[in-house]
Amino acid sequence: MVKKIDDLNFYELLEVDLRATSQEIHKAYERVRRIYEPNSIALYSLFSPKETEKLHQRVEEAYRTLIYEENRRKYDATLRERHDLPEMVTPAPRYQPRMVPPPVSRQEEQRSSAFEAPAQPAPVVPPARTPETVQLAPSSIIEFSGSVLKVLREQRGLTIRNVADITKVGSRYLEYIEAEHFQKLPARPYLRGFLTLLAKALGYESDRIVNDYLKRYDAAMGQPR
Amino acid sequence: MIELQDALRKKEIWAIGGGKGGIGKSLITGNIGICLARLKKKVLLVDADLGGANLHTTLGIGVPEMTLSDFLNRRAENIQDVIIKTSIPNLNLISGAQDFLDAANPNFAQKARLLRHLETLDADYILLDLGAGTSFNILDFFLFSDHGILVVLPEPTAIENAYRFIKSAFYRRFKRVVANQNIKDLIDAAMDQKNTMGIRTPYDLIERVKGMEREVGEILELEVLKFRPKLIVNQVRTKNDIQIGFSMKSACQKYFGINLEYLGYVEYDDCVWQSIRSKRPLTIEYPYSRPARCIERIVHNLLRKEQLTLSMLY
Repeated sequence: MVKKIDDLNFYELLEVDLRATSQEIHKAYERVRRIYEPNSIALYSLFSPKETEKLHQRVEEAYRTLIYEENRRKYDATLRERHDLPEMVTPAPRYQPRMVPPPVSRQEEQRSSAFEAPAQPAPVVPPARTPETVQLAPSSIIEFSGSVLKVLREQRGLTIRNVADITKVGSRYLEYIEAEHFQKLPARPYLRGFLTLLAKALGYESDRIVNDYLKRYDAAMGQPR
Repeated sequence: MIELQDALRKKEIWAIGGGKGGIGKSLITGNIGICLARLKKKVLLVDADLGGANLHTTLGIGVPEMTLSDFLNRRAENIQDVIIKTSIPNLNLISGAQDFLDAANPNFAQKARLLRHLETLDADYILLDLGAGTSFNILDFFLFSDHGILVVLPEPTAIENAYRFIKSAFYRRFKRVVANQNIKDLIDAAMDQKNTMGIRTPYDLIERVKGMEREVGEILELEVLKFRPKLIVNQVRTKNDIQIGFSMKSACQKYFGINLEYLGYVEYDDCVWQSIRSKRPLTIEYPYSRPARCIERIVHNLLRKEQLTLSMLY
């Protein structure tokens, strides 16, 4: 499909994939900016100086939009409204997992304390969010077992895959952690690292979660601390 | 020697053009031909630069007896009669017209006859060395070929001509697929950059055509996708010069909507002019020089239908 330059969306302008990481976007910007700078020899006779200037500005705008997660999310939403995301393979772009998960609101925390209640599908988080901060683990939770971690994860609308993307911990191990398949988990020091990452991914201070979980681990495996 | 895919048994016609004169079209054509011949491909070089033929000189062959003009003017009935064997095995040449002034402007019937005869020849690759400029003859040869290759130098003049060449070839291709005279006139008018209808880019043109006849506009859109010229940047001196190929690729994508394939670059080196002076082909005289290596790499890309990617640079 032939598109007018003015109609190119920011992704097309920077020649990046819709699921490009911010690093890729930065690289692409560095490259494209150099192509469309005034006096660029490769554009000679193709674009007038005015057009080049305009293109240059749009490239800058595209970069400023896509490099910030918040702006990019808003921009993606407008694109989706215009049905201008044709190359989208999956409805959920992969960059979403990279963002820090949203903090849980008070009500949700209360619900998580009563985690025996059937885990409901995660509430859709409104797009405008306050800056994410790491929370202390809610004191209402008595012990962080695998199933609690699972509920916490699901409340945030994260799949195992998402968490694996954020933490770079293999999804298999994440499943074992949640299912408390202690036998299959790696040695204790590694597990500690995994748990720390997992806690951070869920948006909590890691200390309590890690210690709680390891206590259960030790009890099951019969190892002294 | 490089092992290359030999699945290709079908004859392919490649045309090498570029708009500007003196940018190394003949040199690159000749040396690509030699590289292919060394890979045991049957290669025929055709000097389609009908006004200023000198492909034979880059190959170190003296003024040939039989040339393309003999064929065009039917002094030679069969194209076989004007084929000259070179000293390199597998490499044959049809030299360009030398004498006839008219031969520089063959009419449609002559061109059709030439192309028809070329199709019957026994060769793996036929390379057409086009002349400078954007005359209809040159454009037609370029469009007729399986792969059109553009040569540019990292200089504004050459780049300007390359874009003009792409644009001319592009619009000529458009004109071939439409029947409606009004649309043909519109395409002609659009060629003029300062036209009064506000048609600046091919996109504007297609929109306008769609307004007239929707289906024709859609056909033109398809043509845009099918048009995939290839690019070689010659006389590269710095890394920035190599970058120009990628930049042109990007600019073509945005301006024309076409996919320009960046085949490769040829480094600047004194050995190139030395080989021309000595009338011996570069890849034979200086086979291990950097430009010769670059040409080998281009042949590689051509055969594998690959192109340069940014990651190769860094």
